[in-house]
Amino acid sequence: MATANPFSDPLRFERRVPECAIVIFGANGDLTKRKLLPALYRLAHDRRLPESFAIVGNSRTAMTDEAFRERMCDSVKQFSEDTEFDPALWDRFSRNIHYVAGDMNDPALYTALAAKAEATGQKNMLFYLSTQPSYYGTVVDGLGQAGLNRCEGGWRRIIVEKPFGHDLSSAHALNQHLQQVFPERETYRIDHYLGKETVQNIFGFRFGNGIFEPLWNRRYISQIQITAAESIGVEGRGAYYQEAGALRDMIQNHLLQVMATIAMEPSAVFESDAVRDERAKLLRSIRIMKPEDVPRYSVAGQYKGFREEEGVNPQAQTDTYAAATFYVDNWRWAGVPFFIRSGKKLPKRVTDIAIQFKAAPLALFGEGSGEPNTRPNLLILRIQPEEGISLRFLSKEPGEGMRLRPVSMDFNYGTSFGERSPSAYETLLMDAMQGDATLYTRQDMVEASWKVIQPILEDWGNRKFTFPNYEPGSWGPAEADAMLGRLGLKWRNS
Amino acid sequence: MSTTAIRPESILRDLQKQWEDLASQEIHSPTESAGVLRACAMTLVVACRTPEEALDARQVAGQVMRVHPSRAIIVHPGSGDFDARVFAECWKPFGRRQQICSEGIEIIAGQGGFAEVARFLVPLRVPDLPVVLWCRGSSVSETGGFHHLYPLADKIIFDTHDVSDSDAALRSLRRLHAYGMRVADLHWTRLSGWREVLAHLFDSNINAKEIRSARITYGGDSVTTCARYFEAWIRSSLPQARVALEPEYASRGIYSVTFDTPKGDVTIQHVGEHTLSVTGRGLEYRTGLPSINEAALMQEELSILGADGVYERVLNA
Ligand SMILES: NC(=O)c1ccc[n+]([C@@H]2O[C@H](COP(=O)([O-])OP(=O)(O)OC[C@H]3O[C@@H](n4cnc5c(N)ncnc54)[C@H](OP(=O)(O)O)[C@@H]3O)[C@@H](O)[C@H]2O)c1
Repeated sequence: MATANPFSDPLRFERRVPECAIVIFGANGDLTKRKLLPALYRLAHDRRLPESFAIVGNSRTAMTDEAFRERMCDSVKQFSEDTEFDPALWDRFSRNIHYVAGDMNDPALYTALAAKAEATGQKNMLFYLSTQPSYYGTVVDGLGQAGLNRCEGGWRRIIVEKPFGHDLSSAHALNQHLQQVFPERETYRIDHYLGKETVQNIFGFRFGNGIFEPLWNRRYISQIQITAAESIGVEGRGAYYQEAGALRDMIQNHLLQVMATIAMEPSAVFESDAVRDERAKLLRSIRIMKPEDVPRYSVAGQYKGFREEEGVNPQAQTDTYAAATFYVDNWRWAGVPFFIRSGKKLPKRVTDIAIQFKAAPLALFGEGSGEPNTRPNLLILRIQPEEGISLRFLSKEPGEGMRLRPVSMDFNYGTSFGERSPSAYETLLMDAMQGDATLYTRQDMVEASWKVIQPILEDWGNRKFTFPNYEPGSWGPAEADAMLGRLGLKWRNS
Repeated sequence: MSTTAIRPESILRDLQKQWEDLASQEIHSPTESAGVLRACAMTLVVACRTPEEALDARQVAGQVMRVHPSRAIIVHPGSGDFDARVFAECWKPFGRRQQICSEGIEIIAGQGGFAEVARFLVPLRVPDLPVVLWCRGSSVSETGGFHHLYPLADKIIFDTHDVSDSDAALRSLRRLHAYGMRVADLHWTRLSGWREVLAHLFDSNINAKEIRSARITYGGDSVTTCARYFEAWIRSSLPQARVALEPEYASRGIYSVTFDTPKGDVTIQHVGEHTLSVTGRGLEYRTGLPSINEAALMQEELSILGADGVYERVLNA
């Protein structure tokens, strides 16, 4: 209904999602089990879903509604990390869970889905493609042919999981294919990193405080390092991972989006397209590497033992580690290097952004023993774990003389706000059902980030690396240190 | 501690010592320790009328502090001298090794009463963070001396749950608001569940402009502030509609509301302690109300430290 609700009270209760059904393709898969159902259950727990909210799952395995509900019940019990299971709530919630068995390649599936959807009585429908990307085109065509992509007096939206293509041309082709059936404004490309509270908090931190934004530019910042490290290896996903690699799996999507959030200009209003315009503009301002520059500005790595993992080709050229240096060609960031790295089997699981400020112009206190007495201030935005923000600065050591020592001022997200943070999937599902695409990636953003990555992909595709080139538990290959070393810099390895 | 011996500085020193003790206990704990984290986002002053009430309040504050880490200052009158002691509220969040603690101070007012306490509190507030005063148990019209603490607070929370004269209580709240104080009433907060169900009905099923009239019924012997709030909320949200408030033979509180629309009536009605039913215009469903205790109410109020436009509109309607 277009008219505003005079009873709304956003400080006390959040808007619930409108009456709708969510149709999940790939409902027998890992993502549905681990993330989607626990997120939807939590939303029901928080009374954010309307009474008649329906879920329709699809995959090939033959199951009754009841059997599917039982399976989903087990998943919710197992994967709802911080939500107690409430049998009475589950009873109410699960009454509206349905299942349709069928093959996504079979046009009859879509007729069956249309009938089931009709039976739920919902006009508004959100289709969630939790399937292998090779099915995206098939499902979209099936939905279009069955007329499920539009509805008089209701909306039809589609959520597409990553990866959005495997290079620039496939991403472009996928976007065109999607748009033949669903308009861009109804297409929600999910990047769950953007749904994380701490990534959203970057907006709050940058644009809600007066003291940082004046320093947020090349005059005061000397470099930015973005790290997404995992201590584990491919954990049984070797077959999938060897086709993807760290550059495609992490940097092209999540980390370039994080970089865009860190570096974008403030938008005039905090509205979906205004924010996404600024993000897209930033992504388009990242300098595209010339082929001859790629070896200097990027590093591929593979940990020792990857080729012995199950399902992995013993000659695999997969990058389980990727690092790159990017520059942003705009007035704010000209000349400031952005170092991005991501890898598996690194010493610990950490995702953070380290913003290094320029050092004080003069060493006023002379060289004391031990620490140098000018050191750049460092602002660290920790995305996971122990989400928070730290500022490192120098302080006088107690006692005689003027000896300085780095100290850290810490803000810990979880302990300053005792409240539970919603999971990324809760936030993103709510947003899609409410029609807010701010945290979703738009077609132009996807293509702009592929454009940035494309020269690296091409160079790496033509090279034969001498892999493995790093030990599990180390911070990656020596070439990554050399990449920064050439600029007289170092990775922050703490 | 006696009146003359107590100084705010000595309390602050006791707090500091408490932190050192907590940290050293953690370091020497036999299991692996990840340290103690000191958490604080506001000062929460809880004013109570009796020591028993203060004991109760401390328990509620303990629950509240997990969501809103704060320095809690519990103040109550006592028969003897002015006295004060410090305490800590610690917990380990699910799945974490690190212990989080919030600090507290209990102050027993001496002969000087709350006026003396007010002077004492000034240096005990956490600098630069909001101060919330929770007047527990006091009716807003008979403050029992709590009013000495009002000027210290950025927000003052009352509970008009058991006032006998709801009009007088609302007048007092309006007066404080008119003086520029940010006031809240937990009896309004208790309505959030009800209001949410009603608001959702207007999100998608009913257009507010269609409503011709609304009839609210309430149970109990007299009109509570809660019924007054509910009526004012509906009246101020639907300026075109006639709104009636009528008694009903039911337990105390809002019992039902019926909206008259050209396409038929829609009624929301209590059908159990925690259940509402929604019927009419093709709708027929039941929905649960969250069970609320004092800690949950306080948690909701402490989430709103700025202006609360809807409450202010209703209070002054
Ligand atoms: N897993 C994660 O944590 C994760 C994280 C981020 C992104 N993603 C992305 O999310 C998507 C889904 O991931 P996933 O791991 O859940 O996928 P998945 O397990 O490969 O597939 C989901 C389910 O789809 C069903 N299916 C396969 N072929 C089908 C067909 N022809 N017709 C109908 N159903 C078919 C299968 O169930 P049946 O055997 O019963 O047919 C399978 O269990 C992928 O795009 C992935 O890249 C996953």
